[in-house]
Amino acid sequence: MSSDVKPTETLDVRGEVCPYPDVKTQKKVKKMKSGEILEVILDYPLSAERIPRSVEKMGHEILKTEKTGTGEWRILIKIK
Amino acid sequence: MTDTSLMLAGLVVGIIFGFVLQRGRFCMNSAFRDIVLMKEYTLLKAVAMAIVVQMIGFHLMATMGYIQLNPKTFYWGAMIFGGFIFGIGMVLAAGCASGTTYRVGEGMVGSFVALLGFMIGGLVTKGGALKDLTLYLQPTEGALKAITTENAGPYVGNANLTLANVFGLDPWILVVIIAGVVLAVLVWKRGGEETKAEGTLYEKIFKTGWNWWITGIIVGIIGIIAFYTFQNYALGISGGWFGFLNALITGELPRLGSGMLNWFTFLVIGVVIGAAVAAVIAGEFKFRAPDAKRLLQQFVGGVLMGIGAVVGTACNIGHILSGVPQLALSSILGGAFIILGCWVAAYIMFMRG
Repeated sequence: MSSDVKPTETLDVRGEVCPYPDVKTQKKVKKMKSGEILEVILDYPLSAERIPRSVEKMGHEILKTEKTGTGEWRILIKIK
Repeated sequence: MTDTSLMLAGLVVGIIFGFVLQRGRFCMNSAFRDIVLMKEYTLLKAVAMAIVVQMIGFHLMATMGYIQLNPKTFYWGAMIFGGFIFGIGMVLAAGCASGTTYRVGEGMVGSFVALLGFMIGGLVTKGGALKDLTLYLQPTEGALKAITTENAGPYVGNANLTLANVFGLDPWILVVIIAGVVLAVLVWKRGGEETKAEGTLYEKIFKTGWNWWITGIIVGIIGIIAFYTFQNYALGISGGWFGFLNALITGELPRLGSGMLNWFTFLVIGVVIGAAVAAVIAGEFKFRAPDAKRLLQQFVGGVLMGIGAVVGTACNIGHILSGVPQLALSSILGGAFIILGCWVAAYIMFMRG
C-alpha cells in the first residue's frame, strides 16, 4: 500500500559520505510540514539502518525502508 | 613464524576482520561522533563490548603464558597532540582507520582518497618533512616508565605505564571491575535498536547488518586471535598502511623496527578483501563517489589522520581497540584525545547554527 504513496519531496543523497545522509535528512525533516512525505534515496549502508532509527526517535513515522538495488535504498518518512 | 606464514596469517585474520567490520558497520568515527550528533549509542556499545572481550581474553592468555602484554610507550605530549589531530581528521575523512579501510572494500571512492591521504600523511610524519615533530613529541629520554615492576603479573618485562602498575595493583583486579561495570551497563542499556531482521540464518549473516553485541563479541575474539598469532601486538591498521606505501616505494617487504615482518600490512590488505566479499554477498558493493569538494575534504582528513597516528603512535584501532584492553595509559590518553578531537570537529562541522 505504501508503495502507492506519493512523496511530497525527494532527497537524493547518493554518493554522500558519513554522516551527511543522516544530517541532510534530519534538516529536511525539520523543515517539512505535518502529514507531508519525504522520500530519501541513498547508497550508504550504515545510514540505511541509522536513519529509520533516528527519524522514529524524532517522532516521525517510517512508512517504508526498501533496498532498491545493489547498494541502494529508499526510505519513506511521514512527518508527524 | 616465517615471513610466509606470517603473511598468510595476516591475510587470513584480515579477511575475517574485514568481513566482520563490513557486516557490523564497525566504525569508531561513527561510534563516537554519533553520541553527540545523534544521541545514537549502537556502535559505541559494539566498541565497548569488543574492548571488554579483549580485556578479559588478553589477560587470560597472558596469565596462562600464551602471550606477553605489550602496552605502548607513554609520551604525554604525543598522545594528546596526535590523538586530537587524528580525531579531527577522522571526522573530515568520514571514517576512522578501520572504517575507511573496510569502506574501500565496499567501493567507496571517497574512502579510497582518504586512505591515500592517510598513507602520505603517515610517511611524511614518520621519516619525511614532519619527522622533527615526531622526534620532538616522542623524546627518547622523555618516556615515563613504571618505577616498580612489582605485581607486574602479565606485563612481565614491560615497564610501560598501565593503569595497573601506576597504582601498583594486580591487573586482574582492574580487569574484573572494569569488565563487570561495562557489561552491567551494556545489559542494562541493551535497548531496542537491534536489527529486527527476519529470515533464515544465512540472510541474517550475509544479508542484513549485525546486531551490536554480536559484532562486538566477534571483533573481540578476532583481536584475541590476532594477538596470539602475531605475538607482538593485537590488531592495528595504521602501521599496516604506512608499511604498504613504504613497500611500494622501496620495493622491499615491509618490516617493523625490530626487523620482524610487518604483518599489519597483510592484515589491512585482508580487511579490504574481506569487506569486499561481505559487501558483494550482501548486494552492497557499489562504486560511488561524493562531489569534488567532499573528496578534497576526505583527503585532508586522511592526511591529518596519518600525522596523528604517527605522532600519537597508533590509530583508533591500535589505541582504543588493542591498547585500552591492555590497560595501557598511553592508549587511554591517546584514545581520550581521539574522541575529544572527533567531538570538536563534529560540533564545528555539523552542529553549529
